[in-house]
Amino acid sequence: MKFLDHLEEWIISFLMAGATLLIFVSVLHRYLASAPIPYLQDWMLSLNLSWAQELCIIMFVWMAKFGAAYGVRTGIHVGVDVVVNRLEEKTRAKFVLFALLAGAFFTGCIGYLGAHFVWENGGHHDIFKWLHVDFGDIPEGPTTPDLEWPTWMVYCAIPLGSSLMSFRFMQVAWTFFRTGELPHHDHAHVEGVEDTAPLVGETLAEGEEITHVHLGQGDKEWAKSHPKEGGTKS
Amino acid sequence: MNASILFGLLIALMLTGMPISISLGLTVLTFIVTFTQVPLEAVALKLFTGIEKWEIMAIPFFILAGNFLTHGGVARRMINFATSLVGHLHGGLALASILACAMFALVCGSSVATVVAIGSIVLPAMVAHGYPMAFGAGVMITAGSLGILMLPSIPKVIYAISTNTSIGALFVAGLLPGTMLAFMLGFVTWYIAKKNNYPRMKKATWMERIKYFQNSAWGLMLVVIIVGGIYSGIFTATEAAAMAAVYSFFVSIFVYKDMGMKDVPKVLRDSANMSAMLLYIITNATLFSFVLANENLPHRLADWMLSMNLGKEGFLFVVNIILLAAGNFMEPSSIILIMAPIFFPAAMQLGINPVHFGILIDVNMEVGLCHPPVGLNLYVASGISRLGITELTKAVLPWLGTMIVFLVIVTYWPWLTLVVPQMMGML
Repeated sequence: MKFLDHLEEWIISFLMAGATLLIFVSVLHRYLASAPIPYLQDWMLSLNLSWAQELCIIMFVWMAKFGAAYGVRTGIHVGVDVVVNRLEEKTRAKFVLFALLAGAFFTGCIGYLGAHFVWENGGHHDIFKWLHVDFGDIPEGPTTPDLEWPTWMVYCAIPLGSSLMSFRFMQVAWTFFRTGELPHHDHAHVEGVEDTAPLVGETLAEGEEITHVHLGQGDKEWAKSHPKEGGTKS
Repeated sequence: MNASILFGLLIALMLTGMPISISLGLTVLTFIVTFTQVPLEAVALKLFTGIEKWEIMAIPFFILAGNFLTHGGVARRMINFATSLVGHLHGGLALASILACAMFALVCGSSVATVVAIGSIVLPAMVAHGYPMAFGAGVMITAGSLGILMLPSIPKVIYAISTNTSIGALFVAGLLPGTMLAFMLGFVTWYIAKKNNYPRMKKATWMERIKYFQNSAWGLMLVVIIVGGIYSGIFTATEAAAMAAVYSFFVSIFVYKDMGMKDVPKVLRDSANMSAMLLYIITNATLFSFVLANENLPHRLADWMLSMNLGKEGFLFVVNIILLAAGNFMEPSSIILIMAPIFFPAAMQLGINPVHFGILIDVNMEVGLCHPPVGLNLYVASGISRLGITELTKAVLPWLGTMIVFLVIVTYWPWLTLVVPQMMGML
């Protein structure tokens, strides 16, 4: 289980960083290829990066699918909980369980439909071909425009990501059923303020730094020399 | 009939508290199975092709850039610069925080990130200077919402995608209204500070101002990259966002060094988490608007609204009221994804400029972010200030009122939004 968690985190971080670098390189490449620098321009022109955009989209869609599953675990998918939160604890628990199971049901359905779609659009053909099973007249699937990858492989993000998400929903529902605890992504939680005491001191020190530099004198001195404005009104 | 079933089901599912994305998806699934002949495979395919658009990819990039800027010390230097400019006025630090928010908003596309970045530094400093916490938090909550009005903004990207409006034009269109809102908020702050005699700072010399400007210049350069890049045609909005992400990574790690390489994985993970959540809502909302379009609902709704003869002013008034009401239940991206396709056709038939309409929706979202029960800015500020939501709701009122006045101005004075994009030849 731990392994799956780490794999998930690793995949989404890698896709995020990879896609960013990819687009950065491709913009740089386009810029350099149009700059009249001898040799460099020729070398740049010999590289073809027209597929970067397509790959970036694929990477982000994969990131979105696996990230959505990760998001269930971190509780980032927000809903309208204004009404439910006003209910009695027991009734609320029923609604929460219903919502979680509905999530598992929906993502499960999508996972199944996605798998079906992938299978029918070339997956069947290619997998049987690899396994040296006779695939008769099952047609080959389409490919993507620039990279010319089989689309069924690219679309695998849907069944894989959605099934994982369904699994995560069930996991969260089970934990909630047993312990009554939900993963909660706290937007109000701001790092460096609530987390640890030293960090609070640090932020305050930063604030102090601003004032010291500006005032050229300590707070107390400043308050003395500005008796009217320096009052600690609160 | 079908419309009421569709929306009734959606609202019922939403009220159970399940994620908005899931309730959108389940509504579509149920509706397709029971009422239409649309093959189910189309649903699965749409889940991939729904976000297979180059423009949408700007969202993860902007989120990543925003996270680097927040943790990488850019905000802190902007605050120093802002303080050196306006710190000597009444309520100096509060005014500086508004100015810093406006600067940060120029490079960051999220209002929550703006509140976190500026608020977590300014609020403790304000308390240390003898400002009441509630005053500071009230300023931060509303000033932070500038994050989605000035230049890049995630809600604007989402609006652009769902209505096919130019992202570039929407970005610059927020510039003048954003400046105006900053001034209005600043004026209210100054007035309250003067009345209560809140502390002022010593006036900074021009040498100091230049020094602070130089320090913050690395962050401010990003504005040049985004605006210059898009308008000179060097790159698209999405590429600009990617460049912004790489640039802010570079500045945070190698120039300001407020962040180490060891913090990078966490930033990546958090950004991926947030973007995946948004992209997941977007995919499901695409499904939903696909069903809406399949039933020809937006156009029928448009005809119905036009048949009421509200006129342009009346229509905009109704739209504002509905959006403000929706802001009580959902967060901005979901509202825009569900509402924009419904109102857009009617707005177009009434001759409302799509960019103006987009900014109007954006300002409505800003207001929604600043009041309970779902205003995220409020919760973030509560996390920083450790004040309760009720207390903060009271504290934010003077500025919230200002924002409503501002909303009316934006709604009925299109020139304000349209003049800059027109000058830049984008309309």
